[in-house]
Amino acid sequence: MTLAGRRVVVTGGSRGIGRAIVLACAREGAAVAFNYVANQEAADETLAAARATGATVVATQADVGDAEAVQRLFRWVREELGGPADVLVNNAAVTHDALLMMTGDAAWSRVLTTNLTGAFLCCKAVLRGMIAGRFGRIVNVVSPAAFLGKEGAGAYAASKGGLVALTKTLAREVARYGITVNAVSPGLVDTELIAGMAPEQRAALEGRIPLARLATPEEIAATVVHLVSPAAAYVTGTTVHVDGGLTML
Amino acid sequence: MDRRTLRAEVKELLVSGLRLTVGPAEIVDEAPIFGTTAEGAGLGLDSIDALELVVLIEERFNVTIPDEEVGKRAFASVAALADFIVEGSA
Repeated sequence: MTLAGRRVVVTGGSRGIGRAIVLACAREGAAVAFNYVANQEAADETLAAARATGATVVATQADVGDAEAVQRLFRWVREELGGPADVLVNNAAVTHDALLMMTGDAAWSRVLTTNLTGAFLCCKAVLRGMIAGRFGRIVNVVSPAAFLGKEGAGAYAASKGGLVALTKTLAREVARYGITVNAVSPGLVDTELIAGMAPEQRAALEGRIPLARLATPEEIAATVVHLVSPAAAYVTGTTVHVDGGLTML
Repeated sequence: MDRRTLRAEVKELLVSGLRLTVGPAEIVDEAPIFGTTAEGAGLGLDSIDALELVVLIEERFNVTIPDEEVGKRAFASVAALADFIVEGSA
């Protein structure tokens, strides 16, 4: 139980990678709070599965791109978990499929607001408590798109690239307070998004990956748990690529 | 609380909270808290130390220092900080 006594917040925790992170942290003995935007059914299912580990797990609806909602979210966390968060996983993200020239201004803003501003707002909401406690772990979920670019997902790639820069900057700014800030870059992960794909399309994707298969959400969660555990106390400002060799940076 | 007592309390908090090697009595009311003056006066604190001072001041005096604009004004000197606390908690 490497996370016993920790208060963990996972944004976008109801499905996919976020869900796996919630479950993995609960299994390691943390008290976990997560938010979701719209899919309450998925949130309820994740909540039940996470509570089955015996951990304290709570969920609420909140949009991380809304500054006031973020303030409310972290007040709620403090009440529900009995103290301020000492671990934050910024996982909530949206994407928009369009070439940059054809990306609408509103779509660009929506992606940047959720993926980058949302992470910024959540970091601000936890930092005072972490500085006061002289301990904190922040993990930002990024993407190979941040390092390689991604045709047809320019807003997403830009938001994740921004999040990598935020990770490095914040890591420098708060290191002296015992707070580490890192990023995890999941490659292609077997989630609902991929499940709807045609077999040939899936095979083509797998062909680009040196390990020749997609990741499971649990494989991404395991790295997040490692980064927030005592074993990774000396790791900060870096990105761990959990992508089967796709990026190789 | 009168200004003099408040300034003394702020100095105590600076010394204990930021683990300064100078005594509270050595801190000048009008000297900048962060950075140094042209004459080299100052506490040797940098802008990242200010993050901890924000947390300490907010917790102790129930005021909010939401951004760097307010922070610059509040941390101009011990005297300015005492004034800010009086205004902010009024």
